[in-house]
Amino acid sequence: MLLTCALASLTAVAAADTPTSGLVERARLEIQPGGRAIKQLAIENPLGDVKVEGYDGTSIMIETRKQAPDEEGLERLRVSLVPNPDGTVRITTTADGGKEFKNVGRAHMRIDLIIRAPRDARIEAAVSAGSLEVINMDAGGDLDTASGPISVRNVSGGVSTHSVSGATSLTQVFGSVDAQTISSNVDLDTIGGERLIASASRGKIAGRRVRARHIELTTTDGAITLEGESALRGRIVVASLRGDVDVRLRRQGAVTIRARGAKVNLGSATPFARTQQDGWVHSQLGQLGKTAPAFVELRSRYGMVQFAIIE
Amino acid sequence: MSCDDVRPRLTAYLDGDLDAERGSVVRGHLRTCDACREVATTEAALRDGLRQLPAVDPPPSMWAGIQARLAEEEVAHARRPAWRRALARWAPSAPRFAAGGLVAAAAIAVLWWRSHGGPDAPSPVTPEPASIAANPPNKVIGPTQVEVGGDASLDVTLDLAGEAARVTAHYGDEAEELLARAGEARAQWTVEQKDAFDAHVVELRGAIDAAADGRPRQRAWRELIRYLRGAAVRDEIAFAGGSQ
Repeated sequence: MLLTCALASLTAVAAADTPTSGLVERARLEIQPGGRAIKQLAIENPLGDVKVEGYDGTSIMIETRKQAPDEEGLERLRVSLVPNPDGTVRITTTADGGKEFKNVGRAHMRIDLIIRAPRDARIEAAVSAGSLEVINMDAGGDLDTASGPISVRNVSGGVSTHSVSGATSLTQVFGSVDAQTISSNVDLDTIGGERLIASASRGKIAGRRVRARHIELTTTDGAITLEGESALRGRIVVASLRGDVDVRLRRQGAVTIRARGAKVNLGSATPFARTQQDGWVHSQLGQLGKTAPAFVELRSRYGMVQFAIIE
Repeated sequence: MSCDDVRPRLTAYLDGDLDAERGSVVRGHLRTCDACREVATTEAALRDGLRQLPAVDPPPSMWAGIQARLAEEEVAHARRPAWRRALARWAPSAPRFAAGGLVAAAAIAVLWWRSHGGPDAPSPVTPEPASIAANPPNKVIGPTQVEVGGDASLDVTLDLAGEAARVTAHYGDEAEELLARAGEARAQWTVEQKDAFDAHVVELRGAIDAAADGRPRQRAWRELIRYLRGAAVRDEIAFAGGSQ
């Protein structure tokens, strides 16, 4: 406890009201950094939503909202806070168990967290079926859900997201991105960074206003659409097993294209295209200069492949 | 399924060792049987306590027994292709990574923050955020591929205890499906490609076994899925240098 006092100054307020389905309890907490700035926020909340919003301050402000059928249920819901000397603040939630408590289903127990954090703190967060939202941060993060949706907006730094079946949306992310899902869609809007890697099995991937030197989008069943810029000496690989592939690029310098699919349409690159025996269609746009051209590879074993240059 | 059928499987269920179908049957029984649910709850609490005990080296005789069983398994599967053997090894070990991380977190917790309130507490000071209010409690959002929450008959602690295993089982199922899809194209691969693929799958599988329970192990599963997805979709690229 002495360590806690040295690291954080706490102010908590609690409130409760009575909604139609049980009790709701809200509380707020502010953590002031001790001698060292808060560098990372590690959050694990399997019981509800998490929203993290960056701001130009140094402390962390946490709002919790607990929901349970009755007073005993509220008592079981806990938020654990561990400020570490290395600048990491760890927040976890859980529910007490034991024979002394009556049986309460998870659908009736909930903890939601809204956190305001210093912009330059890196976020590492995991939720289950709740939503995970991160906005206005500058040091990226690692985000994980089971079936809850992930939303990232106005974030700099490397962002890595993974979900089994939660829809993933990244908007205005400036840094390398790695988004992986199994059975949900990935939506990318205004992405700029060195690398963009996204993959899904039974979901679609849609990218707009994308610019990265290395782009790799992969699905097994879902369609892929990409609208963006080809970076100089960049490499873009868009591949699906069964989904259609539709790529539209603004060209910076020369572009070399190779494509293969059930049906291939290379748009304005078609007049320069030649088809090889193995089914690959090759084409090139622009004059090869001193710098190597951007490389674009498009493929779908069973779907259509379309390519167009945006003039 | 009766109580007599379910009881012997409870430990495997809590460990996440049952396959999806058997796990579903046990879960369904627990929803309707108070007695079995109480046994499961007690066992889950006992396991929580056991996890906090220090590790003990097993006696050499135990390892001898395990090695004998492994040898039998190897003989039984000797005729199967290497990539199928790799797949077969996933199934028994895939979902046994039930929760444990929270226990460690609890052990190092500096502060338990509990806010106390009730119907008589002061009036609300924080307006309810719209983004949170928009989502009903623990409702599964999006495709219902993961059974998370929403089970009114299981106690919340029992539900949470099985979640890591459920997620890991989904990763295992996905890897199995992707492996089958990669196998569809296998006939077109060269011997070198097949060897490279098999070796890399075994390597990634080893990384899963070596990873710590919980998120590190799930991360290792995702690496395997990423590789298999690449193999299924972009076969010749995936094998170049054993990476995508």
